[in-house]
Amino acid sequence: MTPSKPLELLAPLSGVLLTLEQVPDPVFSSRMIGDGLCIDPTSQTLCAPLAGVISNIQDTGHAVSVTDDNGVQVLMHIGLDTVHLAGKGFTRLVVDGQRVEAGQALIEFDADYVVLNARSLLTLMLVASGEPFVLLAPEADTVALGQPLMQVSPAQASDAACEEQGDAVFSEPLTLPNANGLHARPAAVLAQTAKGFKATVHLHKQAQRANAKSLVAIMALQTAQGDTLQVSAAGEDADAAIKAVVTLLAQGCGETVEAAPQAAQVATPDTSATLLRGVCASPGSAFGQVFQVAEPALHITEEGAGTSLEHATLTRALLAATEALQALQDKAAGSAQAEIFRAHQELLDDPTLLEQAHGLLTKGKSAAYAWNSATTSTAKLFLGMGNALLAERAADLADVGRRVLKLILGIQDSTWELPERAILIAEQLTPSQTAGLDTGKVLGFVTVGGGATSHVAILARALGLPSLCGVSMQVLALTNGRQVLLDADKGELHLEPDLAEIEALQVEREQQLQRRERDMAQASAPAATRDGHRIDITANVASLQEVQQSLPLGGEGVGLLRSEFLYLDRNRAPSHEEQADTYSAIARALGTERSLVVRTLDVGGDKPLAYVPMDAEANPFLGLRGIRLCLERPELLREQLRAILASAGLARLHIMLPMVSLLSELHLARKMLEEEAQALGLSELPKLGIMIEVPSAALMADVFAPHVDFFSIGTNDLTQYTLAMDRDHPRLASQADSFHPAVLRLIASTVKAAHAHGKWVGVCGALASEVLAVPLLIGLGVDELSVSVPLIPTIKATVRERALSDCQLIARQVLGLEEAAHVREALRQFHAATVDTSPVREN
Amino acid sequence: MLDKLKQAFWKALTPDLIAETDTAPVPGLLSAEVLSALGGVDNLKSQQRVALTRVRVQLQEAGRLDEAALKTAGVPGVMVLSGGVVHLITGL
Repeated sequence: MTPSKPLELLAPLSGVLLTLEQVPDPVFSSRMIGDGLCIDPTSQTLCAPLAGVISNIQDTGHAVSVTDDNGVQVLMHIGLDTVHLAGKGFTRLVVDGQRVEAGQALIEFDADYVVLNARSLLTLMLVASGEPFVLLAPEADTVALGQPLMQVSPAQASDAACEEQGDAVFSEPLTLPNANGLHARPAAVLAQTAKGFKATVHLHKQAQRANAKSLVAIMALQTAQGDTLQVSAAGEDADAAIKAVVTLLAQGCGETVEAAPQAAQVATPDTSATLLRGVCASPGSAFGQVFQVAEPALHITEEGAGTSLEHATLTRALLAATEALQALQDKAAGSAQAEIFRAHQELLDDPTLLEQAHGLLTKGKSAAYAWNSATTSTAKLFLGMGNALLAERAADLADVGRRVLKLILGIQDSTWELPERAILIAEQLTPSQTAGLDTGKVLGFVTVGGGATSHVAILARALGLPSLCGVSMQVLALTNGRQVLLDADKGELHLEPDLAEIEALQVEREQQLQRRERDMAQASAPAATRDGHRIDITANVASLQEVQQSLPLGGEGVGLLRSEFLYLDRNRAPSHEEQADTYSAIARALGTERSLVVRTLDVGGDKPLAYVPMDAEANPFLGLRGIRLCLERPELLREQLRAILASAGLARLHIMLPMVSLLSELHLARKMLEEEAQALGLSELPKLGIMIEVPSAALMADVFAPHVDFFSIGTNDLTQYTLAMDRDHPRLASQADSFHPAVLRLIASTVKAAHAHGKWVGVCGALASEVLAVPLLIGLGVDELSVSVPLIPTIKATVRERALSDCQLIARQVLGLEEAAHVREALRQFHAATVDTSPVREN
Repeated sequence: MLDKLKQAFWKALTPDLIAETDTAPVPGLLSAEVLSALGGVDNLKSQQRVALTRVRVQLQEAGRLDEAALKTAGVPGVMVLSGGVVHLITGL
């Protein structure tokens, strides 16, 4: 081989130079892909650093490599974690195999889009073929496009180029688990491992084959999740190489991948099991038959039957889907549900989705294939953004995608042929699925995923149906029609219930109905324990309508007005006058004798506002939420305070700040409130309190207490922050239980601190609405329970059944227990011992 | 598309309570010299730290930006984009 003359690489971009060590990504800083440097770009067109052939340009346009005639290969990777952008923000100007001149434009990118949507724009230029190089201006800290940047020494015979030795051995086919295929990061890990063997190692995807020791070759395979791959090797250590590479691929090549579904386990459940346990998501019990909610597999043919025909099919399906969603909206039980379907409708009009789908149609693909590709790739993009809200939207997109797909394929929509007395069993239920339910035939729900605050749980409670979640996967293997007994109160699903059990539950149900009637009859009476201790039972509301519903049910005021939902049913943002009118109408409905606690806007990165530009946050639950956001955008809070203050005097007005974790937040907000009240000429300030939902506020309650008029404990957030468990986490949700002694201890100390300063404490979280928790909360000294509207009569009746002294006893006892399940069990026993005398006592 | 989606979900939840000017510059992210090279605090519509190494600012008037002064003020890289958007590369 004749030594070629030194090769100069030109700067592919203008920008600020960094060394690889500085790059905050171990794949690059460890040089496992190759040595080189990093540019933080100030230009937006990536140009070729050398003349050669495009050996690989990724479909997503974020990476490209150029190989010159001597085999020097330079890889450029624009940004960090930009593969998740799935091509958005990048325009490819060249294609694979194209010959390019040094300095020729390769990729254009939208720098503003990338910095706002990806981790970083730091761009890597790496000599992937491994030749040594020297920097031409080692002292420079910036570089201009096209400037000579480094000099690569002539290539030496590379050991990777060795010939295939003897017959190749092939592995079994395997399925690629990586969500984004073998992009730079996993490809580098794979190549690194393959290089450790003397044998030649190849990766096969259908007819294509790539040298597994070459990062670029692996990337050029353009693999995607689910692709079937095979590994081959030839040479002395071929078997060992195959074993190592196959194992690595199965484990995700350094990426976290979901374990392959253990189908075998599901298919053969432990037949001896007669009882499955879960978490009660909605109380009650039912004896019914299993109905598995499984979506049928859809068979999609890729090739279309003519562009115009497929085009018409897609258009027709989209139209039909829009109409179906409109019908669902009109029928929807609540405004929140209607809102979901309205958003689904918007998705159907989305230009990006349509563009993608139409693009595939013109390539001769079928309508089903085109639509499916467009929705799944976009859903994948959302999932990869690391944002909980967008991840949920991915589920919505999949939901809509399926709806249209079924219309295209002529499959009946999910109005399942429900049997009578159905107990619906599913891994997870989507809003679309639950919305279309014939609730007359459904007796209960059992799901594998979700927790007590999941969508299906909320829906089940709204329908008054029992629901169990967090049940083992075994439940999915139960045959349709099997008679089962769902006892949500105890968290049990009996697979072989005997007659006695069924009858006992039926009797209990009867009694519950009678009890409900009795509770309703006594709803307007105050809630006082048997020994005369008075508890205020107020309502959690989000609309004037709910306030009006709460009054005949015995609601003694509003303990939580979720102000952000006041604007739900509007197309336009309301003016100050309209907002003020809304608060005033609610206050007027309550009257001067009842309390109204308005919580100020509680939004944040997890539920962003369209009108407040916000940075995407890596961890929105620990970011700018609640009062933090309001203080960051003070006009937002001031405007809301002005509107709330307009209702002063119409009810006993209280203002409550969410997510307070620092005393300074309270002081700042109080100052604003005082200024706004003064500007309006109000002589008397409304009461000002804070939510206790962050452990720091609970632990410092004695410090907060002198500065507030009241506390209200938000048990949902307090639980997730105390236990560091996301309440929507599929695996953790069932453990993120507010009955955990740690949460209860925080409640206990908060109450103690408040009472020491003569302030009252309410509980407005979901815990207050749980019958089981009522004696406990009374015993801990809570003064007010703010509960969901339909439960007001039940909670009031529960208070009346207890004696304060008993409640104090049990509360003290459970604070010393080890875990939530023990607390629940102790409270159940307490309930049986103190109330069970007769659930339907003398009328 | 993302924006549109966010809007679809949250438009209804939110009152149009804040004016565009409300993303008031937070003092401290940028030094006084840098601010003056950008045309003064008044010229800033917004500023945010993005993508590990950058501060993204929106200017009222892009013409008041003084690139040379930014370099002197210790900002090694400046990227001027359309619509008054400017990226200041401030490093890791």
